[in-house]
Amino acid sequence: MKRKGLVLFVAWAMSLAGFEASATADTLAIQGGTIVTVSAGRIENGTVVIRDGKIEAVGNDLKIPIEATVLNAKGKIVMPGFVEAHTSEGMGQSNERNDFVPFLSVVDGIDPVLDFFEESRRNGVTTTAIVPGNNTMVGGQGAILKTAGQYVDDMIVKRKAGVKIAMQPASGSRMGHLARLRKELDKAKQAVEKKKKGEPESKETAKPAPETNTQEDAPKPEGTPEGSAQPDANQSNDAANASKGLEVMMDIVAGKTPVFLYCDSAMDVANGLRLAKDYSLDCIFVLGRTAYKAIDLLKETKRPIVLDRNLVFWEPDPRTRSETKVVLPKIFLDAKVPFVFQTGDGGFRTTIGSSYLWYQAALAVKYGMTEEAALRALTLAPAELLGIADTVGSIEAGKDADIVILSGEPLRTATWVEKTIVNGKVVYDRASDDKLKRLLSPKAE
Amino acid sequence: MRRFKTSVSSLLLLLCCFLPSGLANGNEQSDLLIKAEHILTGDGEIIEPGSILVRNGKIEAIGKEVLADGAKVIEAKWVMPGLINAASDLGLAGGTSEVSAEVMPDFDTSSIVDWGSFAFRHSLEEGVTTAHVVPGTQSVFAGVSCIVKTAGHGEQSLAPYLMKKDVGLTIALCTDPTGRNQARGRPDTVFMRQPTNRMGVVWILRSSFQKAKESKTTDELDESKLAIVRKALDQSLPLFSVSRTEVDLQSCFTLQNEFGVQPIIIGGDEAYRIIDSILERKPKIIFTGLSSTARNSGLRGEEGTAKRWNVLGQLEKTEATYCIAGEQLLDQARFAYRFGLSREAALKSITSAPASILKIDSEVGSLRQGKHADIVAMDSDPMEFSSAIQWTMVDGKLISNP
Repeated sequence: MKRKGLVLFVAWAMSLAGFEASATADTLAIQGGTIVTVSAGRIENGTVVIRDGKIEAVGNDLKIPIEATVLNAKGKIVMPGFVEAHTSEGMGQSNERNDFVPFLSVVDGIDPVLDFFEESRRNGVTTTAIVPGNNTMVGGQGAILKTAGQYVDDMIVKRKAGVKIAMQPASGSRMGHLARLRKELDKAKQAVEKKKKGEPESKETAKPAPETNTQEDAPKPEGTPEGSAQPDANQSNDAANASKGLEVMMDIVAGKTPVFLYCDSAMDVANGLRLAKDYSLDCIFVLGRTAYKAIDLLKETKRPIVLDRNLVFWEPDPRTRSETKVVLPKIFLDAKVPFVFQTGDGGFRTTIGSSYLWYQAALAVKYGMTEEAALRALTLAPAELLGIADTVGSIEAGKDADIVILSGEPLRTATWVEKTIVNGKVVYDRASDDKLKRLLSPKAE
Repeated sequence: MRRFKTSVSSLLLLLCCFLPSGLANGNEQSDLLIKAEHILTGDGEIIEPGSILVRNGKIEAIGKEVLADGAKVIEAKWVMPGLINAASDLGLAGGTSEVSAEVMPDFDTSSIVDWGSFAFRHSLEEGVTTAHVVPGTQSVFAGVSCIVKTAGHGEQSLAPYLMKKDVGLTIALCTDPTGRNQARGRPDTVFMRQPTNRMGVVWILRSSFQKAKESKTTDELDESKLAIVRKALDQSLPLFSVSRTEVDLQSCFTLQNEFGVQPIIIGGDEAYRIIDSILERKPKIIFTGLSSTARNSGLRGEEGTAKRWNVLGQLEKTEATYCIAGEQLLDQARFAYRFGLSREAALKSITSAPASILKIDSEVGSLRQGKHADIVAMDSDPMEFSSAIQWTMVDGKLISNP
């Protein structure tokens, strides 16, 4: 009786305070479900107690705090929220036209209203690394975000998660591309060494004069401010950006900022590994379609690989035109190179499924991955890859309360996400998902 | 187990390793007995466990206990009939439509199938053993379709072959034929032609039907075209209509009223909006809406089609005749099941249902005595995304998957 009153009161208070205020105040208990902790096996008929957005306790015979709102998960699976290690969704446009823009940040471009975030919550994704697109040489800073929030600042887990560097040029030759990339990395390396020696930063490195910018050998892409109406203002802007860019590049060569290294093909992997060695870069490898051919080299990398979104495809031989079926999860499993998934259909032989992270994991199971490993590759593995495993990726006391409640066993065709909880707050509830109901509705509107 | 070839990609080598090792030489094949833990017959029955006796490319017997002395035994977990793709452009080479004219009923897909196309291998890989090859939708009267088997021809089990010619006349009762016609201005373009909008499409259909009905043409070329249209009118040749939106479907029914034709619908994305008419008229629907939802998970697709994921679940309730077609059939059936179609109906919709719509159910589509031994074996429940195809059998010839 007392609890019911309290719940009612809380509900009333929540409705008064609105969406935002309820963010951290809740105490929540998820009771009776099968908890797939990922870090410590399964707990049948377990309870998760959540307070102030964090997991307070996980176990079998937990005392439920009297103030807690109880979610009954009997017959359901309770899992950590899924983590997507790399995506360029969630922004209007993910590639800058100028191809050396280390000073940019996705945080400025992320639109929380986009369908992408809603779809993520609907499909159990609670954390995602949003990284600039693959068509820019140095595309800017990526960020790690929770998928729920009204404004981008409410969602940020890590503002500087890593800089995107693409190994293949959007136009021009790979030779020129790599030469420019090395030039920028050299500049940064020299600046770091000078700083280490305690030399005062020379004017040149801290604020490169405009002519160093315009002297570049490679042709400038369209849209650079050169030759525009106000040269003076643009020049000072350029200088400021160049200095900001240099700082970011310095963080990269100092190993302070990881690099999301996009490798389109196998040769990019080889080049990328050499770069990583020469400049001691901390790389997260994001693969394109045919980069799997460098599988022997990829064994050297310490971290899991982000696989191409097309996990299975046919590859034609350029001469005979005969086609071979390529199954990425199988290749990586056989080579014992750990991997994580990304989503999207990539525009090739449209699949219904590959826009769902859980589908990618089910596909990996199809090709020989154990279900346990697949669930880890959806949660803790990408969290570790992104360096946020201390806060997300498993159901453990002290971690963020990012939890999905599934209607049945994970990765099954008929299993749906019932509830998605981010920072202890229910941000998706299938029971009130009108859009989903409309898609599955028996009647026309 | 499943071997994977990446480096060697010559066709010859591929063919060699897929040639069944256990088959006897020559045309006389030894009997095969497939012992499976679960047999899904495709027409609704489940036999657990059961056996299938295969002789000379046909199913000789199926049941709980099948007596077969001297037959080579193959153990399997889950088996189901080979899948049937009821609307494909499988193997069509050099364009799927003739775009120089809008009335092309004599365009015959069977004459332009590239039998060496790798598309057959892709389909086989997905468990598809039979496919209906329909012409593209750039012309209002798009042409005559055919049915192919994706493998099983002759001794070389991977060779596809023509199973049935002149399956039906395909019309494009949608805006597809208008597609590029609006881009006028260049007098030398072939797109200086009708129709430029949906009214034009219906007008061409109506006038051609009328012309065929009146049967007063002296032009021989015209006459050969009209002869095919006439067959569709007197229903000796099935009529397939590519129609997706509610308007398209309504136009189908209008033509049905005017000319007595009974078009089999290919598309049907918005069929849920006219459930009452479907109840009344009971059209056959080859549903392709799930493969086109793929690209955008949003509510609206091409032509502003309002997307619904569970159209098939609704058709099931009306007891309509429908099936699923397009790429990745098995995944489509799984998603249809996820979205609300019953498990049993989902399986039927890629096996026995397309067979009966295409009127080839006496030969394929279910695991029954006398039918083609077209069988797909899976390592687990076919309705789960994590289940893999272990082997496919076409006409009794075993083809292992890489």
